[in-house]
Amino acid sequence: MIVAEQKSVEEIRRVIAPYDTVLLLGCGTCVTVCGAGGEREVSFLSSALRVAQTKSSDAIHSLVEYTVKRQCDFEFLHVLVDRVKEVDAILSLGCGIGVQVVAERFSEIPVLPGVNTSFMGMTKEWGVWDERCAACGDCRLAETAGICPITRCTKGILNGPCAGTKNGKCEANKEMDCAWVLIYKRLEKLQELEKIRRYYPPRNFRVIPRPRRIVVKAGSEPGEDNG
Amino acid sequence: MPGNEPEIRSALADGTIENHRPRRIKGASDKHTLTPPCQAACPLHMEIGQYVDLVAQGKVLEALQVIRDGNPFPSICAYVCTHPCEDACRRNQVDKPIAIRALKRFAVEFGGDRMIQLEAETTHTEKVAVVGSGPAGLACAYYLRKLGYPVTVFEAYSELGGMLRVGIPQYRLPREVVDTEVQRLIHMGVEIKANTRIISLDLLLDMGYKAVFITVGAHQSIRMGIPGEDSPGVIDGATFLREVNLGLRPSLGEGVGIVGGGNVAMDAARAAVRLGANNVTVLYRRSGTEMPASPDEIEQASEEGVKTMFLVAPTKVKRENGRLSVTCVQMELGEMDAGGRRRPVPIEGSEFDMQFDTLITAIGQAPQLSEDFRLRIGRGSTIEIDPVTLTTSRTGVFAGGDAVTGPATVTQALASGRQAASRIDDYLRHRYPLASREAEESSLGELFPKTIEMIRRVERLEPPFLSPEARVKEFDAVELIYDWEAAVNEARRCLRCGMGAEILFQDKCATCLTCLRVCPYHVPYLDDGGTIQIPAEQCQACGICVAECPAKAIVLRKPYDRRHIEAELEHVLKSAAELKSKTLIVGFCCQYGLFGTGALASLWREGKAGIWIVPVLCVAKLEERHLLRAFEMGAEGVFIAGCGDQCSRENTAFWVLQRVDRTRRALSQIGLEPERLQTFNLRSAEEDVAEALDNFTQQIAGLCLASIVEQEVKS
Amino acid sequence: MANSSFEEKLNSDGFLVTTEIGPPKGADVSEMVHHVDLLKDKVDAINVTDHQSSVMRFPSLGGCLLVKEHGGEPIIQITCRDRNRLAIQADLLFAYSRGVTNVLCLTGDSIDVGDHKEAKPVFDLDSVQMLNMAREMESGRDMSGNELKGVPQFCLGASVHPEADFIEPQLVKFEKKVSAGAQFFQTQGIFDLESIRRFMQYASQFNVKILAGIIVLASARMARYMNENVPGIIISQAIIDELADVEKGKGLQKGIEIAARFIKTIREEHLCHGVHIMAVGNEAIVPDILEAAQPAGVRR
Repeated sequence: MIVAEQKSVEEIRRVIAPYDTVLLLGCGTCVTVCGAGGEREVSFLSSALRVAQTKSSDAIHSLVEYTVKRQCDFEFLHVLVDRVKEVDAILSLGCGIGVQVVAERFSEIPVLPGVNTSFMGMTKEWGVWDERCAACGDCRLAETAGICPITRCTKGILNGPCAGTKNGKCEANKEMDCAWVLIYKRLEKLQELEKIRRYYPPRNFRVIPRPRRIVVKAGSEPGEDNG
Repeated sequence: MPGNEPEIRSALADGTIENHRPRRIKGASDKHTLTPPCQAACPLHMEIGQYVDLVAQGKVLEALQVIRDGNPFPSICAYVCTHPCEDACRRNQVDKPIAIRALKRFAVEFGGDRMIQLEAETTHTEKVAVVGSGPAGLACAYYLRKLGYPVTVFEAYSELGGMLRVGIPQYRLPREVVDTEVQRLIHMGVEIKANTRIISLDLLLDMGYKAVFITVGAHQSIRMGIPGEDSPGVIDGATFLREVNLGLRPSLGEGVGIVGGGNVAMDAARAAVRLGANNVTVLYRRSGTEMPASPDEIEQASEEGVKTMFLVAPTKVKRENGRLSVTCVQMELGEMDAGGRRRPVPIEGSEFDMQFDTLITAIGQAPQLSEDFRLRIGRGSTIEIDPVTLTTSRTGVFAGGDAVTGPATVTQALASGRQAASRIDDYLRHRYPLASREAEESSLGELFPKTIEMIRRVERLEPPFLSPEARVKEFDAVELIYDWEAAVNEARRCLRCGMGAEILFQDKCATCLTCLRVCPYHVPYLDDGGTIQIPAEQCQACGICVAECPAKAIVLRKPYDRRHIEAELEHVLKSAAELKSKTLIVGFCCQYGLFGTGALASLWREGKAGIWIVPVLCVAKLEERHLLRAFEMGAEGVFIAGCGDQCSRENTAFWVLQRVDRTRRALSQIGLEPERLQTFNLRSAEEDVAEALDNFTQQIAGLCLASIVEQEVKS
Repeated sequence: MANSSFEEKLNSDGFLVTTEIGPPKGADVSEMVHHVDLLKDKVDAINVTDHQSSVMRFPSLGGCLLVKEHGGEPIIQITCRDRNRLAIQADLLFAYSRGVTNVLCLTGDSIDVGDHKEAKPVFDLDSVQMLNMAREMESGRDMSGNELKGVPQFCLGASVHPEADFIEPQLVKFEKKVSAGAQFFQTQGIFDLESIRRFMQYASQFNVKILAGIIVLASARMARYMNENVPGIIISQAIIDELADVEKGKGLQKGIEIAARFIKTIREEHLCHGVHIMAVGNEAIVPDILEAAQPAGVRR
């Protein structure tokens, strides 16, 4: 799922400084799972901000807390309509998508991000999340034994490995495994080593131009209403 | 274990997650806390889990309150209850059950039960007669009196208490205990008429009693039915015990034989020892496993020198040369009888003789009823009653206790008396009896092996006993009381069945699997539908998942547990604000174990300037927001003091430290020194907390001073 | 038909010697020019490194032009880290137009090891794809298949890592580079001749020239540092000990000695087709190494 990290309390304070009443808006899906923006984190942030206020001479904000099930679908935001009327800004702890959807829905007030959306990844164990997918739009996991070279190789090359691998680890981060060593070993186990011997031509970096859109509905033109 | 990171369960790495299908708890959503097995097994359905937890917190007065709510005579039960709760205790599956009865005794003694005076008002005019002052009768009188009825208890003997007085020897139940209870009843306004044997119920009804409760007990010894049974030197156990308890010291000689295997037989044997008999032998016709006497009794009797012979029964008694020659035959176990025990069958030709000075029979008792009562009698000479209304064959006449059930336990008699009071009240107020909480069943099943595995084994602490040598000299009470440390630590072994966590807000749950991963007991699991289940019967109520759940979807079932920290904290902050405490330091301290009553208790009493203690029921329930709230409301320093590796739950120190770490980072981002938040004793049991706290207080004072100076300099 | 003097030498059977110079971090190229003059007649070709270890420097292409101007034979190093396919194709066209036709196609060290850690890593291509692309251009088309007006020709090389601890994937990569058109290979630093022997047993089946990389160490500390921090370098404990044993100040001397020893052995035993001397930062001592690596002599 989408993994994010809460911004530092000082950064959030700076960002909400100009506003009197702020709604701290949590999201009950991805950022809850990765412990960055769920109801518990909203509560934590609210507590921390309130402590900060008592210790500083800054203006006092009035903080409202609420967590919706998801921020990336408009329907979940209907429940906020009345609350939003009473605040000057929303600090969303949802991922970048959530912040933008909320901003689009409530365009009359500023909507600010409270987390840094980092990557799409998996939970390795409690408290540890690893990036796994870059949403390249051209999945080639069939060729690489289910190990993504775009995310797990620092250089993201398709004909790996490079010469920088040592002890099966990457030159850039000695704690990270070299993806291509992993790919080689797993292809060997699957007896599909000819896949790594193939030449892979350069990536198509833009499957379709950014911002990307996928249309499933038949009979509509892509590019319509991209606002 | 100090220094070790706990193994945080990884769903993937484990690979051996079984998808369980435990029984779905019926009605779990409408009744949050589930009835623990101890409470269900108790004939009085006392809130055992509650009072054990209170003892663990050192709150003896409150524990006694809970006990008194559920039991009219806790002091009596504390001595002689057969503790079915302990047999049902699920700790049995781990090591030994909680010593509930001994803890109750501790609460009764240290909670000052003796001092409690009870009052009652008369709000009704209908008089009720209770025939028999045994536990059932006394309980019935107690509850009827509380309901406002005028009550008269009639007792045939001069001494009150029924079996409590004439059956159970003083070394098990001192007479002062019974006397205290009787006095309390008299103070409440119960009329007692001793030395009054009721022969006719019509007379009672003529006297104006609107309802009668017959509870005459079962004091008539059952005869063995063998030749020579009436020889001098053969006495029945009930009579023997009565005489002993009334202060007589019958001379028994050296060699005494007891026929029987129940508690009366054991009582008689142990009384015989105390009366000077050196050679006491119990003859029981079945084997040791079928013996109905309680295992404690059997063990203590054996320590006192009582010998037991199994699978023997007397067939003939003859008085010869001033002694009794008892012919016995060996038995073997045959078919099952109606009661579910194997019937003993004599082995042909295996007769042998034994010599005794006295033979005491204790093979059972039955009620002895006047024919004039004209009640329908059932099996074993017991009174027949309607199971719902508890009435006999005569209107307005109720019955209970041993007179109805045959010989049973004291607690069962109390329950019977309590129920009878309810029914009599219904009858007199012309109400149909409501379904009572008498029929409470525990829906908690067994612990899973993987849960049992993670529960730390802790030895059961027994209360101290008089040594066997000291015991046999006199009829002094055999069992002594726990000291504080032992009581509190024994109570902490409780698994808190049914008081654990549940997912209250299923819609908030994002199935992030945090609860599954952080639980030290491997309790939450993913069912086949991909939904997290937290089975109530496995949960050990540590509170870790409640605090860690990112969606705040999990709560503890006990409503008090849910908000107790917020409530206590707000209370403390308010008080501190009112008193304008300088340099406020807030300390979150665990209430359990020695912590609440020991190390920090002295600090509380000394009322160190500026230090306010927020008692918490295990620091594992503390969250970052509680800590930050203290700072928000003006605390200059905050500390957490827990039981460290003495905590009765696993991994709690680890999680507290995680949260402390996070809070410290937030503090430093806000411009507060992270040292303002400290933990004590979370890792080392040797840390001198008082000293550490002193250092901390000084450090905080220093930081405050520094910041004041800084302010001055700035302005 | 050789595209450069270096290619000519490649096609002959002579022992090849190349070396490399690192451009300055700045616009003052005087020292680099000095090194070019020092080395141009002593070696068969000079590589100019391209932001080696991801440290921003004067570009390889610019350095190669200077080498050419001063009469030397340049090998341009192009990495995939900093340029996308448009830029690389453009640079290749430009290089060819100025007579720089020897190209070492590299993937490039990762941004994280350099001094601009927040820069965006490009890696539009990898080394194999770049080789392919260069050959594509030689046949008159750009990567998108458009016709080129003025078709370049190159002598292409790549790198290989015979001392890798897990050698199989490296050999797979090597073969891909050969298929993609590499003519010569300069290896990562060799510190154990056994590895080059083993590698050559496998590599000699291909019609490519292998030049063993020789790194000049100046001290045990440098050796340890490189082990830890420089990608692709694995220095054995024996060498480190040898360097540690000498007295202070004599480290470089020792390093030269070790390097010369390697070169001698390689040449005498015909272990591979030549050497590529890497004395980055110490370019001035390269002639001393060559001197010490006589007797056969490599002076032209």
